Amino acid sequence: MSAARLASASAATAHQRQWFADLREEVADGGPLALVNADAPQEIFRAMGIPYVVNQWWSSIVTAKRRAQDYLGLLRERGYPDDSEQYSSIPLASAFDPDPANAPWGGLPRPTIVLAETTGDASRKIFDIWDTQPGVSFYPLESAAENDVPARWWELMPRDWERAVGSDRLDLMTGELEGLIRFLEQTTGRVFSETRFTEVMALVNEQQEWNRRTRDLIARARPCPLPVNDSIPSVMIPQWHRGTAWARDAARAFHDEVAERVSTGTSVCPEERARLMWIGRGLWFDLDFYRRFEESHGAVFVWSMYLAIAADGYLRYGDDPLRALAARFAAFSDQLYTPPWSAEWYVKEARHHGVDGVVHLVSEDARGSYFTTRALKAAGIPVLELHADNVDTRSADGDTLTRTVGDWLDRHVLAGD
Amino acid sequence: MAAALAQLTSHGTDRRAAADAFRTRHHGGVIGYIGADVPVEYITAAGLLPLRLSGSPGTPSTDGDRYLGTGLDPAARSVLTRLLAGDFGPLDGIVVSRDCEASLRLFYALRELRRVDPALALPPVHLVDVLHLPHRTTTRYVRAKFGQLRATVETWAGRPIDDRALADAITAHDRLRELLTRVAALRRSQPARLTGAQTLTVVAATTVLPVERATALLEELLTEADHLPAHEGVRVFLTGSPHDTVHVYDALEDSGLLVVGEDHDWGDLLSLRRTAAPTEAALAERYQYNGPSAPRASIRARAEHTRSAARECGAQALVSYARVHDDAPGWDYPAQREATGLPSVLLNRQPYGALGEEAAEALAELTRTTQPTGPRARAEAAR
Ligand code: SF4
Ligand code: SF4
Repeated sequence: MSAARLASASAATAHQRQWFADLREEVADGGPLALVNADAPQEIFRAMGIPYVVNQWWSSIVTAKRRAQDYLGLLRERGYPDDSEQYSSIPLASAFDPDPANAPWGGLPRPTIVLAETTGDASRKIFDIWDTQPGVSFYPLESAAENDVPARWWELMPRDWERAVGSDRLDLMTGELEGLIRFLEQTTGRVFSETRFTEVMALVNEQQEWNRRTRDLIARARPCPLPVNDSIPSVMIPQWHRGTAWARDAARAFHDEVAERVSTGTSVCPEERARLMWIGRGLWFDLDFYRRFEESHGAVFVWSMYLAIAADGYLRYGDDPLRALAARFAAFSDQLYTPPWSAEWYVKEARHHGVDGVVHLVSEDARGSYFTTRALKAAGIPVLELHADNVDTRSADGDTLTRTVGDWLDRHVLAGD
Repeated sequence: MAAALAQLTSHGTDRRAAADAFRTRHHGGVIGYIGADVPVEYITAAGLLPLRLSGSPGTPSTDGDRYLGTGLDPAARSVLTRLLAGDFGPLDGIVVSRDCEASLRLFYALRELRRVDPALALPPVHLVDVLHLPHRTTTRYVRAKFGQLRATVETWAGRPIDDRALADAITAHDRLRELLTRVAALRRSQPARLTGAQTLTVVAATTVLPVERATALLEELLTEADHLPAHEGVRVFLTGSPHDTVHVYDALEDSGLLVVGEDHDWGDLLSLRRTAAPTEAALAERYQYNGPSAPRASIRARAEHTRSAARECGAQALVSYARVHDDAPGWDYPAQREATGLPSVLLNRQPYGALGEEAAEALAELTRTTQPTGPRARAEAAR
């Protein structure tokens, strides 16, 4: 039985449209708007009722509407790089759009505050430029790093995050968040209620618990009940809305839909011979790619990071909700990109899902990639590294990419069959 | 060449010699460090020698490329390659700072290589995460990181660092910074008594020598100043990427420029800020507010600093040199150009330790439009 589009994905997409239209109206009436980086703490805005847009989400909308090149051109005209941190910088170009009425989704209203961690060397500069736009303030957060960390973070994070992240980083970010709350109270006149904030934090944990159950269902299910890219909107759109009842319920609906498929034996590829894991960002230019090896090889992609990081990366329980929030973000990207955390986690997920091989997209900006590949191979799992520079050129010639993966499947994954 | 300048040049170029001498006399005790955000005062106070690690542009960085990927600043890939090859001699420890993203990734690679590949026998590695936002929360964090580093250095030295020794080390390194500032004045003077390349090499020498030795040589150099020859050229202020070797300075000065100042931390930025008091609290603030460096400071802070520093140097032009995969300078440049109001050029995506082909053309254009100064130039102009 082959799988139709998920109802939860359609519902999430429809919700997103309506939410954005409502947000535009609210902001048009003079309300505050935050533009927030994906890995920055959004829950404070949620609790205070300050609407926010996630920087990288807006970037993906602009890109999907094929406007990214126009927008990068607007940066170039102002002398700014068009070849660095594009995923973060594209929304900045919205501020320079000469024809905002024709922008995707009616355009991004001008934010009043932008929030980002000072990660990397250039990303804070993008927000520095936001800060020079009339009516916009940039609130920067430090991005701190620890000398020594316990490797198995996913076991510690939900409750023992103090040990996983380290007290110095938590003291720092908690102090910065206290400053942020005061700043927002003063500039928006809105109230921060600890009671409301506690509710928001509880809703986020409930939502991620649903994601965790869904991830575990998919890990155990044979054959795989849904194509890997179909789960992305069902996970990510609610993730941008975390801390609301809608988002919690959407995560649950997604879970129930997957459970239903598992119980009825729905499968992506009934003759499943090889279960594959995809590490790296999505191949947005060719989403069908993930399904290309089902008929030819019985090979199914069962894993991508989006659901898995939702399952393991967000849960934070504890009596002090602000410190728990700091713990969610003080080391967020380390979970995915910094060894030993990243390397050990991918191995654990590969085993949990019983994968037979890993396709690892190594971007030019290869954070920790060598160590991820090394750890997987050391665990006896075949890995094919695709390097982003050749993937981009190969995409013009999708056949080569298909052949590379096909050959690897024949030789290294299915050879022992 | 004057005696002190010759010795400093030799140490700035052969960066191992002083460490090898120190190792022989003290049976070890050399600590490699990466980035100007490492508080070397703790290492000095423990009786160890801080040796700032640098790359080697001419040498392939195969190992570094493998572990770090080719999308990272080639200087960091080169340092890792050299570490794995044992180029710096035996080190008793490595301290890495968070002065830029590439240093942080280099730290992660070293930490992980030690964990998964003990056969490489890498020395112990410590990250000192000095952050720079101008807030009290950051100061508190930096102090905690200094406490951590102090404990690690004590372990490496096999004895505690006493407060007296730390205060002395702070005073000694500040004295060195003061002398470096006076040396920098020698190339700003009209005519310049040092070239940019010479100054860069002298600064580099002070990051391999014991602080007392470096101080003594700088004092000697200052007494020789009147006998140094005069140098001419279009006076440029250099911004953008840091330079851990003299190659690019040589190329710039061979094309008729004179680098009279810069805002990276292998040059003027290294000695800019002093420590307000010989205490750990003041030391933490010194490093937190150190800069403004391209990868860590805001566009606004950078532009303001570049403007005032270029003016103090009497610069006639601004050159921004951005190495390939060094992303910060390109974002700073438009504001720097506007703030200085000088004729300027951005040399983007430059290879490590060299000028790309288009760079030479852009520089020739800059030189044509800017009049060199100095008696010879004036005489030529009059002809
Ligand atoms: S500076 Fe030190 S190492 Fe160099 S020559 Fe003099 S004594 Fe020897
Ligand atoms: S200069 Fe001082 S620290 Fe250096 S080798 Fe001589 S005695 Fe030792």
